[in-house]
Amino acid sequence: MDKASHLYALDRLRSYLPDRINRVVGRMASEEAAGLEELRINAGMPLMGVFSGFDRFIAEDGSLTGRSEKAFCLSREEVEELFYRLCEHSVYAYQDDIARGFLTLKGGYRAGICGKAIYQGQVLKGFKDISSVCIRIPRELKGCAEPIFPFVKAGRHDIYNTLILSPPRCGKTTLLRDLCRIISTGSERADFAGVRTVIVDERSEIAACYRGVPQNDCGPRTDVLDGCRKAEGIEMALRALSPAVIVVDELGTGQDAENIKMAWNAGVRIVATAHAYDIGDLKERLGFGILIGMGGFERYIVLGMRNGKRWIKVTDAYGNQLYTDQAAGLHDGVFRLHGHGAEIFREAESQAACAAEVQGHPSVPGE
Amino acid sequence: MCIMGKPLNKAFENLGKGGYGGVWAPLFCRSGSLLHEQVMDAGEAWRIALEEASATLPLAREDIDLLRDFGELLGKSDRDMQQAVLAMEKEKVSVMERKAKEEAETTGKLYRNLGALLGAAAVILLI
Repeated sequence: MDKASHLYALDRLRSYLPDRINRVVGRMASEEAAGLEELRINAGMPLMGVFSGFDRFIAEDGSLTGRSEKAFCLSREEVEELFYRLCEHSVYAYQDDIARGFLTLKGGYRAGICGKAIYQGQVLKGFKDISSVCIRIPRELKGCAEPIFPFVKAGRHDIYNTLILSPPRCGKTTLLRDLCRIISTGSERADFAGVRTVIVDERSEIAACYRGVPQNDCGPRTDVLDGCRKAEGIEMALRALSPAVIVVDELGTGQDAENIKMAWNAGVRIVATAHAYDIGDLKERLGFGILIGMGGFERYIVLGMRNGKRWIKVTDAYGNQLYTDQAAGLHDGVFRLHGHGAEIFREAESQAACAAEVQGHPSVPGE
Repeated sequence: MCIMGKPLNKAFENLGKGGYGGVWAPLFCRSGSLLHEQVMDAGEAWRIALEEASATLPLAREDIDLLRDFGELLGKSDRDMQQAVLAMEKEKVSVMERKAKEEAETTGKLYRNLGALLGAAAVILLI
């Protein structure tokens, strides 16, 4: 997504914001606004934005500041008004989404909701007394998977079972979405015909469906099971949709691994993502061993960050490196830090180093 | 209004344009369009539309007030609560309908008696 598209997306988002917040966001310099990834709106707290991965408070004049006392503060009523606007003043219509803790809005925005949880027996029914809203601005980067697609392709009508691995916020879902688009559309450049694809979009993050219409381009041969749990979704897809490829986000449990095996037994290819620093990290998790090594995933795409820039590595099932690049694919710089100076760069390095140390993994490939 | 979990603006527009609205169609259409613009909440949109339409609707002030209060609770809660609100409002409307019928009967009787009396008076005057 280029700067202009991102600013357009932000403009569309502003139609949801109550007047005062709308004006403050409107006053932000376009350079800063282009880097806005998240808007965090808390009752009685300063307005905060996440810019290229880093938190900054937003002052009333739209400038960014590190000091919370200078930031623009919001009232509880404004947060409530925002909540009603996000629900199109129809809370009942979004009841199921609210119970899951987020709303998917027109344009692919995703608004996380916080408040007092309401339980009916053991089931979370929804939230009341909304205290904060976190709006994520979508980043659809068409073409970011082009450089790696030749390594995922197994033939003109076939792909390898592929797993994308990375720590949070490194672009797994963005890459998965673009891979799905290419698999479904086909690619003349890679001599790939395009095959039937089903997305099991448990968290509505890949296709970002709004009232049944995907807000992101996932290709013409793609069916989306929106909000559907992975286990049920994979089974439904196998039974009714005859896909060649199933795309799922964020494998995390042993049950997920069993479901993937079930799909493989039905002859369907899987493209999936998981939170992990590398293959070894994933292998240690309960139940995931069966997906790795012989008879498991055949391609691994590992993503990471260094100096605020993304790196990417593709390996086969035996760990042989097929492709590597620094800041490849997402070359327009989802994670490139623009306009924040050297201080932010140092912060980025130290955060990346800390994260790697905590996990006991290197922050760059091959180190 | 909860059919298919449609947001209120869509539900109102469907009621207004789908031929189910009868004399209320303009009220639903106007509420829907006000809500669609997202400049006000459902209660306010409903109130404005109701005020605008009140001159053309065959309703007493009391009826208008009841309908306006109903708007205050629109869209602000989950399905169960919205259904409870609708059931309560339906009950209130039934009570008012009963009252209006009784009033119509009483007034009707009065007019009928008054007509007979005036007829008798005219006959007496003409004799």
